[in-house]
Amino acid sequence: MIETDLIETNLIDTTVLLTIVLMACVTYFTRLAGYLVIRRVSLSQRAITVLEAAPGCVLVSVIAPYFVSERPADLAALAITLLAATRFSLLPTVVIGIVSAGVLRHLLA
Amino acid sequence: MDALPVMIGFIPFALVLGAQASQKGLSIVEVPLMTGLNFAGGSEFAAIGLWTSPPHLALILAITFLVNSRHLLMGATLAPLLRHLPKRKAFAALFFMCDESWAMGLSHARKRAEAGHMIPFSLPYYLSLSAGLYLTWVVFTALGAGLGPMIGDIESLGFDMAFPAVFLVLLRGMWKGFRQARPWLVSLVVAALTYLLVPGGWYVAAGALSGIVAAYLWVEENPLEEKPAQEKEMQEKQVKEK
Repeated sequence: MIETDLIETNLIDTTVLLTIVLMACVTYFTRLAGYLVIRRVSLSQRAITVLEAAPGCVLVSVIAPYFVSERPADLAALAITLLAATRFSLLPTVVIGIVSAGVLRHLLA
Repeated sequence: MDALPVMIGFIPFALVLGAQASQKGLSIVEVPLMTGLNFAGGSEFAAIGLWTSPPHLALILAITFLVNSRHLLMGATLAPLLRHLPKRKAFAALFFMCDESWAMGLSHARKRAEAGHMIPFSLPYYLSLSAGLYLTWVVFTALGAGLGPMIGDIESLGFDMAFPAVFLVLLRGMWKGFRQARPWLVSLVVAALTYLLVPGGWYVAAGALSGIVAAYLWVEENPLEEKPAQEKEMQEKQVKEK
């Protein structure tokens, strides 16, 4: 009932709704599939070693674009953030990252 | 408490995504609907970047799968830790698996295992963390959609640097020496090159896969690597006992 009201008042477009729902299905599938496959088979020592390396590989890949930024200010801020990450816990590192990026972009703009 | 800095890190991204989505014509209801059902920032950014009116369904679904393909591996690494949970609970937990909740849940479990807990994975810890992240994401993407045109240049203030900062701290937590981190370097180089040379979200999948292949080959090269280390430890223990 609420949904049809929303569609009628143009807050939800049916094609947009379909796209969003299908996106969600694809996304949830990727979350379940790895778990379901691994749950059924037992793992060799080698597979465990590879799976231990995998998380870092994924995280590094997600942030890789920051390492090849065209802006010197961003690269410098990333270097400062990287150094901070080796010494401090999460909150101070995040603050140092934000402040160094803001200040350096201002100075080098 | 661990969730707080990550939630702060989510806010600028959520605002930017909401603002971008509203510029592409998504309504203030459609934006939280998307972020609430998907809860996957990377793919949502990619989808909004490609958004047309009407949206190109096949393209958006393919990119969504590509960007989220890392979930396959993440789910696989969680599987042994979720073994004690009934399927229903595991399915619910996996709905909330994002890069941050997964990595923090994993490192929390690692710490508990070292402390000698029989069940290293803590569902209450993971769920409270996830709830905080989820609410932050949905609320602030909606806010971004509403405020969209009014928000100035968030990037010039440096808030986007929170994203790599969070990931770098998570990586530090997984660090077990340079030898174990060599596949990460492969991932970084391949992902960066793919990002520069290939348009779209391919760089995540390419970087992650090449690093995993490298890890596999390095184990192959020296499969007994683990054993001598264990033996050495045993010997050291014996010496100490004497």
